[in-house]
Amino acid sequence: MNGFGALAPLLIIVGAALVILLLDAFLKKDNKNYLAYLSLFFLAVCGVFCLSSWNKNLFYFEGQLRLDNFALFLAFLFLLAVAFVMFIGMKYLTLQNVHGGEFYGLLLLALSGLMIMTSSLNFIVIFLGLEVLSVSSYALAGLKGKDEKSSESAIKYFLMGSFASAFLIFGLALLFGTAHALEIPAILSSFRANFEGQLLGLVGLGLVIIGFAFKISLVPFHMWTPDVYEGAPTPVTAFFAVGPKAAGFAVLFRILAPYWNEGFKSGRIFDILWTVAALTMLIGSLIGLRQKNIKRLLAYSSIANAGYMLIAVLAGDGASLIFFLTVYLFMGIGAFGSLIALSKKDREYNDLEDFAGIGFKYPWLGAIFSVFLLSLAGFPPTGGFLAKFYVFVGAVRQGLTPLVIIGVLTSLISAFYYLRIIVYMYMREPEREVNIEIENPALFLVLFLCLYGVLQLGIFPGNVLYVIRQAAASLF
Amino acid sequence: MSVPLLSLITFLPLAGVLVLIFLPKDNKNLLYGVALTMTFVVFAVSLFLYFDFDAQSSGPQFVEKTAWLGYGIQYHLGIDGISLFLVLLTTLLLPIALVSSWSSIRDRLKEYLIFMLILETGIIGVFVSLNLFLFYVFWEAMLIPMYFLIGIWGGKRRVYATMKFVLFTMLGSLLMLVAIFVLYILFYKATGTYSLNIYDYYQMLLNPRLQTWLFLAFSLAFAIKVPMFPFHTWLPDAHVEAPTAGSVILAAVLLKMGAYGFLRFAIPLFPDALETFLPVLSILALIGIIYGGIMALVQKDIKSLVAYSSVSHMGLIMLAIFSLNIEGTEGAIYQMLNHGLSTGALFLCVGILYERAHTRQIKDFGGVSKQMPVFSAFFMVTMLSSVGLPGLNGFVGEITCLFGIFASNRVYAILSVSTVILAAAYLLWMFQRVMHGPITNENILSFKDMNRREIGYFVPVVILMFWMGIYPGTFLKKIDTSVADYIGRIKSREKIFVQKGEHIPAKLRLQKKDADTK
Repeated sequence: MNGFGALAPLLIIVGAALVILLLDAFLKKDNKNYLAYLSLFFLAVCGVFCLSSWNKNLFYFEGQLRLDNFALFLAFLFLLAVAFVMFIGMKYLTLQNVHGGEFYGLLLLALSGLMIMTSSLNFIVIFLGLEVLSVSSYALAGLKGKDEKSSESAIKYFLMGSFASAFLIFGLALLFGTAHALEIPAILSSFRANFEGQLLGLVGLGLVIIGFAFKISLVPFHMWTPDVYEGAPTPVTAFFAVGPKAAGFAVLFRILAPYWNEGFKSGRIFDILWTVAALTMLIGSLIGLRQKNIKRLLAYSSIANAGYMLIAVLAGDGASLIFFLTVYLFMGIGAFGSLIALSKKDREYNDLEDFAGIGFKYPWLGAIFSVFLLSLAGFPPTGGFLAKFYVFVGAVRQGLTPLVIIGVLTSLISAFYYLRIIVYMYMREPEREVNIEIENPALFLVLFLCLYGVLQLGIFPGNVLYVIRQAAASLF
Repeated sequence: MSVPLLSLITFLPLAGVLVLIFLPKDNKNLLYGVALTMTFVVFAVSLFLYFDFDAQSSGPQFVEKTAWLGYGIQYHLGIDGISLFLVLLTTLLLPIALVSSWSSIRDRLKEYLIFMLILETGIIGVFVSLNLFLFYVFWEAMLIPMYFLIGIWGGKRRVYATMKFVLFTMLGSLLMLVAIFVLYILFYKATGTYSLNIYDYYQMLLNPRLQTWLFLAFSLAFAIKVPMFPFHTWLPDAHVEAPTAGSVILAAVLLKMGAYGFLRFAIPLFPDALETFLPVLSILALIGIIYGGIMALVQKDIKSLVAYSSVSHMGLIMLAIFSLNIEGTEGAIYQMLNHGLSTGALFLCVGILYERAHTRQIKDFGGVSKQMPVFSAFFMVTMLSSVGLPGLNGFVGEITCLFGIFASNRVYAILSVSTVILAAAYLLWMFQRVMHGPITNENILSFKDMNRREIGYFVPVVILMFWMGIYPGTFLKKIDTSVADYIGRIKSREKIFVQKGEHIPAKLRLQKKDADTK
């Protein structure tokens, strides 16, 4: 159905971003939190719009922008993620002296980029969304302007991201050359019809995949991840871990799932991605073992998780992929949120050593963080277990059993480093003085909601799964 | 039954956890009061299981089945004769373990009690789940409290021990998880319906090559848990480092989960693969018996001596299970209970000694019986029960196991008798060095005998030891039918393969279960 409703959520977000940026100029430094509340209001309005277009399959711009259930569900996830990130950012910004206005405005812009990416089938529009996202992300990563690591992170992200975009554009050019179209279904049908042009098209498709592989940090395009994650302000890192990753996988899934269905399952691209998935899981879990900085460690954990998500893409299992992304949203933001909770004025505690004895000093924080870590490690009855369970079942159904075996073994390896954090929190005597600032209610609300999400999705995910299956069904 | 007994038993401890979370952490009496009341209530409720259990019926009883996540993942509980007493053993030992830690756990009591109660839920859940998914959830979830119990309240090398314990167990169980996926998908492809119900899987006949892989995955998980030689290395570490109550639960119940897994899953599901691997597994069990015994002989630490004795005793239990006949299986189940009681009690004894001496080295003791005559009596009964003295529980279990093993393979039987001889050697020798002889260490002179609390938790254990030794019928009569059914199931499946000769179906084949069973 053609309807303005398809454009409305996007307009709200972009409008909100501009309003916030403008308002920033007129607010005193102490009042920046109002920006957060205002943004949250806009996010809520946008959420209501999304809710009302569920199951309506709206589209606009002659179908270039389509809000099918898949896009809508992801939009929900992004809204939730950004809302969480804003909440956990409120404490961080005041304590670490980061400018608030840019933070909220850029986050909203990045959000619009994410929404554009996931709600189109046209490669140019997708690329447009990706660039909106990327440009705001580069700025977000460098938000702590005076901090060397933050600047390094921004520059690194920018350089790597530009390379990725170049690859993507080159791939698109090749695809356009062979298929004379930039819409995913049209490209696929040209693959089906024309075998001579296939090699060039395959190269193009490969380059496009590489472009996205950068964004979702698949091995061997993952090198930037630990540095950027470590340097960027922690709320921004939480956003990077959840938002762009989810959008990248969604697009990859939109491209590849129909491709597998066309019978290209045994093709080269499939084999290469199979290897990439195995490598991503291996590197993510093996190198994570050596990390002493929790932000870096979580970066490697996010790489390893990208491997599991890629398994879902390879299995063509949309529901499992979305479920994994949903669970990952809660555990990822929860884990980074716990890191933020452990900070004070101008000081963040990110080293493993800092965590010694935290579990008993701050029992609630320790317990909540432990649940997120156990969920990341994939222990039942948390959502992390169920997410992996569904991904692996789907993969075994498609005959990817060897990949699943690699998957469970790497999750064993990564369990070691998650558990090691818990070891430090509960089983080591504190060596350094760690004093955290008074709790921030907004932050603890987010932590609590994430905890609730992780447990709810682990024990009674029935309703969410029902909605996710509807969303996944809208793809085909 | 209108009351969901099994759910009640499984989740009451969690209710206790919810209460504990909101109690002040300094009020020791209140915290203990709540935790103990909860475990006693659970035990009392679990006694209903015994009395209401129908000994004549072979199927699962007290069944609860509700939809959970869909696609075959159901909330499906039930017990039969095999799991009944393991549940009872758990519910009995939990309060005992809690009482035993009254004076030994001083720090972080609240967290300790919380983890113990979560542990109880996890263990009982493993024994009562009939859905593979649910089983796996409990099986893995149970690791978390144990990880904290060893890691926080353990000895010097606790972090190493707890990491080793968790990673070893996870290695096995993750591969088992893959095997569960494969079974799940196969069942779906064969029948068009999703199921993870273990009784549905019993009806399934799998291609032998596939069985081999699946059997290996399942067996690895369970063999690590038992632990069978050569996967036992985590056990001495975990046992030595764990706090007393942790060791008690670990030895008495957690190890049984491995043996239970073989009985419930690995053996009945993959008869063909079992046939191939039976010699290997039996020999590994035999090696475990002898190796564990010899290692126990040379231990200097009493706790690791008891730990290695577990390796040896569990070897005998596994060998009896692999004899695949009624005597062997029944003996194994009975011996699992005995081992739970007597090894649990041995760890309690070690705990009592340690609380007084703050050492577990055998050489630091000597002549303790002069100072602690009551303790000496309890310790001796416990030790003799572990050795297998007639009149005490260990004898009945071991002799039945040995009968079963003898019926299937005489050489194994002759070799496995060494478990009794070795046990007598290392335990009596240890007892002699610790309890008798002259008092060499001055500290011993200050030892006080067991107090009322310690006698209080020991008495029921000793009564049970005598009861199970003198009148095993109370227990065996509830086990008989289920074991006969289990053996019947294995034999009938063997027959199918014999009839088929070499031409075993290349693809998965499903029996028409309704037509055949009725």
